[in-house]
Amino acid sequence: MEQILFRHNRPGRCVTFAEYQGEGGFVALKKALSGMSPDEVQQAVIDSGLRGRGGAGFPTGKKWSFVPRNLTGPRWLICNCDEMEPGTYKDRILLEANPYSLVEGMVLACYAIGVRHSFIFIRRGYEQAAANLRRAIAEATAAGLLGENIQGSGFSCDIDVHVSAGRYICGEETALMNALEGKRANPRAKPPFPAIKGLWGGPTVVNNVESLANIPAIIAQGPRWFKGTAATPEASGMKLFCVSGHVATPACFELPLGMTLGEIIDGPCGGMRPGSNFKACLPGGASTPYFTPAHLGVPMDFDPVAKAGSRLGTGGIVVFDQHTCMVAATLNLVKFYARESCGWCTPCREGLPFVVHLLEQIESGQGSEEHITILKEHVQYLNYAFCALAPGAMGPVDGLLRHFEDEVREHIITGKCPCRS
Amino acid sequence: MPKLIIDDITVEVAEGTTVLEAAQAVDIPIPHFCWHPALGKAGACRACAVKMLEGPVKGIQMSCMLPVQDGMVVSTTDPEAVAMRRHIIEWLMINHPHDCPVCDEGGECQLQDFTIAAGHGIRRYSGKKRTHVNQDLGPFIQHEMNRCIQCYRCVRYYQEYAGGTDFGVMGSAGRVYFGRFQDGELESPFSGNLVDICPTGVFTDKTARFRARYWDYEMAPSVCSGCSLGCNTTPVARYRELLKITARKNEAVNGWFICDRGRFSNSAVNDPQRPRTPLVDGRESTRDEALEALALRIAETEQLYGTGSIAIVGSSRLALEAALLLPQLAQLTSAGALCYFTSEEERATTTSHLGLLSGGTSASQQEIRESDCIVVSGCDPLQDAPMLALAVRQAWRDGATVYVVGDGIVLPCEFTAVAAVDAVPLAAAKKPVLICSASCNSDHPAGLLVQHSQLKLAVIFPAANSYGAAQLAGEQGGVSLERAVASGKIKGIISVEADIPAHLLAGIPFVAALDWRMTETVRAAQIFLPTTAWVEMDGTSINNEGRAQRFKKVMNPGLPIRGLDPAGHPPHLHRTVPPGGEAQPAWQTLALLIERVSGEPVTEPFSGRWERLRGLDAGSEGVMIHDL
Repeated sequence: MEQILFRHNRPGRCVTFAEYQGEGGFVALKKALSGMSPDEVQQAVIDSGLRGRGGAGFPTGKKWSFVPRNLTGPRWLICNCDEMEPGTYKDRILLEANPYSLVEGMVLACYAIGVRHSFIFIRRGYEQAAANLRRAIAEATAAGLLGENIQGSGFSCDIDVHVSAGRYICGEETALMNALEGKRANPRAKPPFPAIKGLWGGPTVVNNVESLANIPAIIAQGPRWFKGTAATPEASGMKLFCVSGHVATPACFELPLGMTLGEIIDGPCGGMRPGSNFKACLPGGASTPYFTPAHLGVPMDFDPVAKAGSRLGTGGIVVFDQHTCMVAATLNLVKFYARESCGWCTPCREGLPFVVHLLEQIESGQGSEEHITILKEHVQYLNYAFCALAPGAMGPVDGLLRHFEDEVREHIITGKCPCRS
Repeated sequence: MPKLIIDDITVEVAEGTTVLEAAQAVDIPIPHFCWHPALGKAGACRACAVKMLEGPVKGIQMSCMLPVQDGMVVSTTDPEAVAMRRHIIEWLMINHPHDCPVCDEGGECQLQDFTIAAGHGIRRYSGKKRTHVNQDLGPFIQHEMNRCIQCYRCVRYYQEYAGGTDFGVMGSAGRVYFGRFQDGELESPFSGNLVDICPTGVFTDKTARFRARYWDYEMAPSVCSGCSLGCNTTPVARYRELLKITARKNEAVNGWFICDRGRFSNSAVNDPQRPRTPLVDGRESTRDEALEALALRIAETEQLYGTGSIAIVGSSRLALEAALLLPQLAQLTSAGALCYFTSEEERATTTSHLGLLSGGTSASQQEIRESDCIVVSGCDPLQDAPMLALAVRQAWRDGATVYVVGDGIVLPCEFTAVAAVDAVPLAAAKKPVLICSASCNSDHPAGLLVQHSQLKLAVIFPAANSYGAAQLAGEQGGVSLERAVASGKIKGIISVEADIPAHLLAGIPFVAALDWRMTETVRAAQIFLPTTAWVEMDGTSINNEGRAQRFKKVMNPGLPIRGLDPAGHPPHLHRTVPPGGEAQPAWQTLALLIERVSGEPVTEPFSGRWERLRGLDAGSEGVMIHDL
């Protein structure tokens, strides 16, 4: 199977600058800077159909196009590498194997948007990835592929690696900008959107690592080729799926968008672990409603997954077998979100601990029918929180109540967790 | 102007108004905690949820975050919006303690009001409440973090609005904590506004702790007498004691806030040493006896030393009503001097600065807040008129450049130090303001006003009614007491709330004093008549801009019950006024004296051009006196 992001990978170590260059690395950068206008680069990304790989799936090229043209003053590009969604580790795997695609992609993005200084906002725990990036930036700068007057084109741009102090909310793009400015990582009100008024008040684009790392291939091999790497005509490109849980070989795979969930589990994942049967999975990270065996045929692409009642999210698939208590699993997830709330708005700060409390009661056999009602109210009203954290946190609770209400009720009726002996 | 429909009522409001404000404009209250008119939107509490039925946005929206647009149809009563608001209160009440009976905010608590309004009643959360450790924030503000509903108003006010750096928000998620890095007195000279701005009982006035409930309060619109700015206040009293002072909104003057010096200034009114009984030669007497003695002594002094031996002395802290009666008294007693100032220097500098302000050149605090270029020259606003410094900060936050002439000045914002006003690009500014002090005798501003027609002046005067005193001194040919005494003619002084230094009193055979404070003059006086403090009377003062403002009586004068000697309780004398309750407003005492001397009763202090001040509404923005 063709690979885009993983094509340069070496077993057990990071690819070197020379190896990356020798395998077509930085060709896209040179091509763009010598023969393409910024608008042409942007158009290629729009034509490729690339959708943001950070979770929301917003078309990357369209996001770029929101930055006002002919505006004086600095504009910014931020690479969001604050990967902290439980079940998601694709950016780490990618950067530990190859930081160069991201660096090249960022230069191309800067060129397309007209950015002089860009940032990589990286999660504190990603020490190896940060070291790789710093080295890659130094090598690229030394080779004249980054910094002043790149390749004699007159275009200059820098990349700074900023190590986050580390909270889940920093991955929310406006909270990320606040954190980068040295403020509390609380999300900002939208509008104004970052493309209009972002970092230090300037127009700002925030893209995920994986989105940016795909840009070189789009420019080098063309948007039509990129789109065609997907498994279905509607989908576009490849996607890093990081699978964990009760499958035989959990790992991060680069697979065509549009492969079905069943194909992913049975193919690269080697099926379920011996003795395990598929009960449910989080299809796209911890904030997505569960899929059940009924969803094994759903093509893993943004729209089909949404149509099936969940979200493709980050592509972090967490698989649960028949021994998993869905109440306990959900409780574990919501605990994470309750802890990671920034504390700004009432529904998130107070609602999530309430949900944790209710799930704890149910899991410990102290639940009552009223708790299901209250949980359903929370699924509805946490949608009106300030940012997407609380609605995301309720994704698994929503899935729990839609697909496993009987299991929840069994806890309540029997006064104990049916999955514990 | 956009037109929208809120609960079937058509509303037309200015562009930029939020749906929340538009609803308020037609008396539809929408619960809110984080939104505050002075702080703007935050979107944190989510309590102001409404449902948008038609228009550019649909569904549940936060009305504080949403600017009005044409065609919006808003429902505040939609079941989903009502349920959302009920859930917000339920969430907030998960951790808010049910300690209302022992909370000073009880009865004036926004959280209480909106909990009732939102309809949440039965607790469904069975876990424990979150608790915090409180901090000692100094002698003025009580901290009770368990009551916090995390609306972020305090930190937004303290850091953004007031520029404080020693108080903030720490922690995250359900553990956010609003306080200082460690225990200690809050550093901001505007910290007291935390008490007003907190929608519940996290910050309460420590000086008034456990003293009264909202429904027990005696309160009325008043004006601060702490400096010349005339910030609007609502003092609160009970049992003849001034308990606390809160800020009152006047968009043109102080906006929503006041400074700590003005807020925590009730000790002079409650002072047990305050002179409250008329005295004749040290003997307690009735008001009539004292007035009779006073009239007699005036006549005796004139007989002994000839006409023109009496000086009638007012002051810049005296309310306008009494100040207006002084010329009449001077005339009746053939006084040799009518003085509104004791010091010649103060008279001269105040009068010369007053001259600069005729004709609309004075800048209000609002105009300072909206200025684009501010020069602070030869004065220290934070020291002498703190709210000016806060107004300067608001202009700076809005992009104004601030220049300071002079060393050692601290402002709650960034500024550029310049050697002289000439170095400031005033000509390039659209709405420049020069802040100076009447105590700094420089004629510089006059030249600047000629050069820059758009320049406005904010002059810091020495006291609450300096403007009025200087105005009357100018109109009535007042001299300074210093000059009058130097002439050697003055043998008798009638001091009306004047602070006369001892050297001017030495050698004056007859001194009478009307005052509510124990001063050197009161101690030296042979005849003393108590007057009421500003919170015990209706009155008028003219602030530094020339704005006349009415303050209303908050409480009856009298010895605070807290100050009474328990040994004398219960009182065995029948009486119609409370102990120490003989004081009356200075103008009324002056009116009685005038009546006694002339036989003509005085019922109204405002006459002639001042007549328009008779009906001045204390709730209004006041009246500029050059418009009279």
